[in-house]
Formats: sequence, C-alpha cells, structure tokens
Amino acid sequence: MEPSDWELVQRCQAGETGAFQELVSRYHQKICIVVIGLLGNREDALEVAQEAFFRAYRKIKSFQGGSSFYTWLYRIAVNIAIDSQRRQKRNPLEFRETMDGLFEEQNEVARDPFSDVHDRELREKLVAAINDLTPEHKAVIILRTVEGLSYKDIGAILGCSEGTVMSRLHYARKKLQEKLSAFL
Amino acid sequence: MRNCEDIAESLGVWLDGELSLADAEVIRLHLEGCAQCDGKRRQLEKLHSSLKSLFEANSPRVALEPFWRGVQERIAERRTWRQGITEWVRSALAGPAGAWAVPAAIVIVLAILSVDSFRKLATQRNNFAAVESIDAHGRNVALWREDETKTTVIWLYHNQEGENESSEENTETRPSF
Repeated sequence: MEPSDWELVQRCQAGETGAFQELVSRYHQKICIVVIGLLGNREDALEVAQEAFFRAYRKIKSFQGGSSFYTWLYRIAVNIAIDSQRRQKRNPLEFRETMDGLFEEQNEVARDPFSDVHDRELREKLVAAINDLTPEHKAVIILRTVEGLSYKDIGAILGCSEGTVMSRLHYARKKLQEKLSAFL
Repeated sequence: MRNCEDIAESLGVWLDGELSLADAEVIRLHLEGCAQCDGKRRQLEKLHSSLKSLFEANSPRVALEPFWRGVQERIAERRTWRQGITEWVRSALAGPAGAWAVPAAIVIVLAILSVDSFRKLATQRNNFAAVESIDAHGRNVALWREDETKTTVIWLYHNQEGENESSEENTETRPSF
C-alpha cells in the first residue's frame, strides 16, 4: 500500500531524504504545469518549481499537517511564481528549447489542440488575454482550470477567502470572454 | 425566480460545481428554457476547454531524475554553506592554529573566573574600612564595617611607637580583628 503524503512528510521530518524524493515524484509535474502557466517561460518555471521544492524541504519540519501537503506545497510554489513574475517581466509564453533534458521529448504537433488556422488564432488571442491578467487572477484561473481545485483549496493556497476566489474567477473569466468574444 | 443577469453571474460557479444543490437546480431549469443563457454557458465551457488545452499543450512532461537532481543541488548548496562555517571553526581549532587557540580559550576562561573571584574579594575587603592616625602622638582610629550584619566597630588606640610613621611599622601595629 502506498504511503500517504502525511506519512511521507513525517518520514521526511525524521531525516529520510528518500521520502522527500517520493513527494517530489508525486507533485513535480503538477507544480510545473501550474508554474509554467503562471510564468509562461519554461526555464524560469523549472527554476521556480525546484526552488519551491527546496523551500518545502527546508521548512518541512514546521509543517504540522494542519492543511494537506499539496495545498501547502502549491502555496509555496504560487507565491514564488507570483513574486518572480512581478520582479521580471520576461516575454511570456515564448517557450524556449529544452534545457538539460528536463523536458521529455514529445510530438508537439500531434498533441497541439490549436492546429488549424482558426484555433491558432484563438490560441494567440488567448495567450495575449491571459498575459493581461494580474498574477492573482491568472493564478485562480490556472488552479481551477488545470488542477480543478475547489474554491476552498484555492483560497488556502492563495491565502484568501472562498468569496475572493469566486469574485476573482468571475472577473478573470469576464475579461477573457470580452477579449475572445469573436472566437467563443 | 432569478433573471438572466443573476443566472449569468452564477454560471461560472455553477459550472465549477460550487453551488448548493438547490441553487444548481434553479440554474439548470433556467438554462433549459433560456437559449440566451444557454449560449453563455456554452461560451464559458468553450473558454474553459480552450484554457485547459492551452495550459496542457504548453506543459511538457518534466523528467523526474534531472528535476530531482536540481532540487538536490539546492539542498547540497545549503548544506555546503553550513558546512563551510563548521569547517572554518574546526580549522581554526585544528593544526598549528589550535596550538594557541586552546590555551587562549583556557586563559580567557581563567580570566573570567579571576575577575569573578576578584569582585568577591573586593566585596569582602569593603568590610574593612581603614586605620588612620589621629595625631602626631601615636593615637589611631580603626574603622571596621561588616556589611552582612551591618556592624560598625570604631576602635581608638594608642600606638607606642606612634611617632614612627613608616608604612611597614604601621602595618605591624594595625589591630587584628
């Protein structure tokens, strides 16, 4: 039977690095997707994701299990990503080539859902519209759309109430709909 | 009965499954009879699916091994920084440097203890005030104060060799308590 996150955390608190590696293997992909969505830049996103895991490792002894591990981890990652986004406004969604084999090879054309002309245009508009959102609005959209997290969990990650999550989502969707009205 | 504006405001929350069963049912029934609001629902669903596709398309599989190595390197860097300080302290104490470092530490500890003893001694000395010569005929006064019991003793006495005021003799003729 697979150990729970909390069991792994406790083993990690006892100094077992292997337990932390297991937690990394469980969540690195999810964290990377969220951070790439927030930053748009893969290299920066990987740096941020690794930094998030490093900080989680450093602080793991203070984790008491009051919230779920992934909520706690997402909170660390999202906060670093938002800070990073504010600090450096790099060209978003202009993805660079793979770095040091971190990204597994895949057939981009085959899995690109925006392959025809109309959809490519939609993609460009979508990217532009997302980039116009504030980091906080972008974060709620990503956590809800990609991860399918509940308002409660999103609130716990972003340190705000469920009501705030609801209003941020409503505002962000409205903005996106306004900018994409011709395509939706 | 809620109007279309209210329904439009709640569509996102309804799609997210965050409404109560009763409220969700109200919206579902409204959508069945309102083409305009149903159109807005379809727009929101398309926005959601487009966003999901975009984020997933832009998020490649990240290989665990190199990713974990990167995390480990950060942990190791942190350890190296700590180890650096530990090693500096160790190197300061080891080898030729240790030859003076250890005695120096002992001297410092002894100095601290000596200062402490001196202070205690000084406090004790405060109990004894003074011996003074009153006149040129060998009459002296000794003043003794004992702090603990708050006792003060004043002793007048005559020194047979009073005219001789050399320090050595004064010392000899001091009363003993």
